[in-house]
Amino acid sequence: MNEISLNHYLFVSCALFFIGVYGFLTRRNLITMLMAIELILNSININFIVFNKFLFPDKLDGLFFTIFIITIAAAEAAVAIAIIINLYRNYKTIDVEETNTMKF
Amino acid sequence: MDLFEAIFWFLTAMAIGSALGVILSRNPINSVLFLIATFFAISGHYILMNAQFLAIVNIIVYAGAIMVLFLFVIMLMNLNADVEPQKSRLVQFAGIISGGILFLLILAALRDMKAAGVIEKTATDIGLMKNLGKTLFQNYVFPFEISSVLFLSAMIGAMVIGKKETLVIDKN
Amino acid sequence: MKAIIAATIIGVIMMFASILSNNKSGIVSLATVLFFFLFGINIWEVYESINATGVAAPAYLNNMMSLDSFAIWFSMLMSGCALLYILLLGKEIAKVGKHVGEYFALIAFIMVGIYLLAGYSNMLMLFIGIEILSIPQYILAGSDKRNLKSTEASLKYFLMGSFSTGILLMGIAMLYGATGSFDIINFRMLQTDALNPLALSGILFLIIGLGFKVSAAPMHMWTPDVYDGSPTPFTAFMSTIVKAGVFVAFLRLFHASFGNLTNHWMMIVAVITATTLFIGNITAVFQQSVKRMLAYSSIAQAGFMLFAILSVNATAWQGIVIYAVAYSVATIGMFAVLIKLKDYTYDGFNGLAKKEPALAFFTTIFLMSLAGIPLTGGFMAKYFVLLAAVQQGQVMWLVIFALIMAAVSVYYYFKVIIAMYFKTGEAELNHEVTGYDKLMLGITCLLVILIGLMPQLLLNL
Repeated sequence: MNEISLNHYLFVSCALFFIGVYGFLTRRNLITMLMAIELILNSININFIVFNKFLFPDKLDGLFFTIFIITIAAAEAAVAIAIIINLYRNYKTIDVEETNTMKF
Repeated sequence: MDLFEAIFWFLTAMAIGSALGVILSRNPINSVLFLIATFFAISGHYILMNAQFLAIVNIIVYAGAIMVLFLFVIMLMNLNADVEPQKSRLVQFAGIISGGILFLLILAALRDMKAAGVIEKTATDIGLMKNLGKTLFQNYVFPFEISSVLFLSAMIGAMVIGKKETLVIDKN
Repeated sequence: MKAIIAATIIGVIMMFASILSNNKSGIVSLATVLFFFLFGINIWEVYESINATGVAAPAYLNNMMSLDSFAIWFSMLMSGCALLYILLLGKEIAKVGKHVGEYFALIAFIMVGIYLLAGYSNMLMLFIGIEILSIPQYILAGSDKRNLKSTEASLKYFLMGSFSTGILLMGIAMLYGATGSFDIINFRMLQTDALNPLALSGILFLIIGLGFKVSAAPMHMWTPDVYDGSPTPFTAFMSTIVKAGVFVAFLRLFHASFGNLTNHWMMIVAVITATTLFIGNITAVFQQSVKRMLAYSSIAQAGFMLFAILSVNATAWQGIVIYAVAYSVATIGMFAVLIKLKDYTYDGFNGLAKKEPALAFFTTIFLMSLAGIPLTGGFMAKYFVLLAAVQQGQVMWLVIFALIMAAVSVYYYFKVIIAMYFKTGEAELNHEVTGYDKLMLGITCLLVILIGLMPQLLLNL
């Protein structure tokens, strides 16, 4: 077979996870933060599929977990968009730092 | 380097490059477009791993539905202006440190995988639709049904939150 | 299983009720009746599980759920708490916004999530349960749309919630890589000596992800803002019943799967517990608003509930049940009093004893229970979780620290009592306290004292 192994794929998913976490922590634009979360979820999906394919190919567990993650992420995104629209109506901004009516 | 490997590295470069584009570009529209490119690259990986069904679902649901929703919201609200101020240097630094530590931690954990006596098996046709359907409606029928509760609540929720309340209009 | 189906149907009925009717009080009465019905179904299920031992689980579950006697019993108790919540605060829920029926529908769906978390035996069900629990909460937090604080609370909750879901999923992925299964029973096969680094980092990610959900420090930063910003009736629900549900999920996973690996995660959870107790109690002392104080106190109480996770023994299971019920009942009662006041600061309570002696008396009982004074439910709850930790024997320093922190908590709870009885002022009420309110608060008080006197009533284990 070819020389692409488990670790190569895990490197991809790790890199995406890291990029997602970095984006989530440093960006202030809500839509971009949401996209960072989607990146994190995708890196996890790759993990599941890779483990399924390379380590436990006789069952489809990882694949199904991924399908559930994808569908549930879609539901979550719909709610998120509703929240953002509502926020924009109230604040006229989607900058996280400006939403600070409550003091810490 | 055979074709398979070439495709793998191309897709990897595309995924990571456009993921960086998502979080580094200042205009949200560019971010969305980069994210779509990332999803296509990831779908390519899925096809390489013989999970064709998932690749299609990934493109339809993520690139097709979620990203179009994002684009729609950005354009509807005219949020594509390049006005976002960056977070302070300190936060960025903290982001790099914490993200980097996570990265190293996971990578270190994964590098030892081989040492822990893991045997790699050759792939089977895990992604074929026939097998998927059978398993979904035999082993996974309960989570499948129960996730409808989740979608129902998300639907109600999006309606409750998204619906315009007349009182707001009166005030403005 | 019957309860899961019933709660779903109740959600759908409430959804349609809001389309068909604009009568708010009618919808509240319908919800009350339906939640009575749900509680009845739960009792039926408990009765059945006592009589029919050894009946195989239905095939369609396929090891996704193990609805054992604990799961059914805990579901029943949580339904009881939810019923009490609707009886006490139903009218207030109707005042939050226009979509009254939908709020009750979302609460019913959250109950589905709690039942799933009480009885899951597969990581997929843990994930779906937590999502069913979380998504309605994001919406309930933001349901007061005219209020900026509420919108902000919903946003913060959503961001932190979905981020922590990502972390949780990463943990699940790693455990899958290490064991090749999502069944929590199969994780048990991980042996201490041949531990895969993948499994260890998976456990770490799970602790962080679930720690976010139960607001354990240092993953608690969202809690005060979310609980403070959300409409008060929904804060009462989120900080009590939901939190208890997630705790049981946490307990189930760590006792069933990682019980033989305690030397690997015990220290991490112990440090998290100490931090949670310290930050929750010390920050609560400095709060001006009682609602925000209750938010910090819910962090502090989470610290005590973490003791049940730490001590892997049977007493911990009893402790978490008693703690969940005692804390939920007392906090729901406290919020039901708080919502009647105009001013949520400590000064708002000044002179309440003169104006409404009954209300002040009930408040005193609730606060004493939260502080853990003997003869109240809170005392027995703290006693049981700390007893579990003592029996476990590895974390004695933490038990002593917890006792000191419980003493600190007396200070901020009693500040309210002092304001009510010894300070002069005119406590302003939002509206008249009706006889019904007093009756329900009285029943809640009786429950608190009953749990304190006979905690074994809550145990069927």
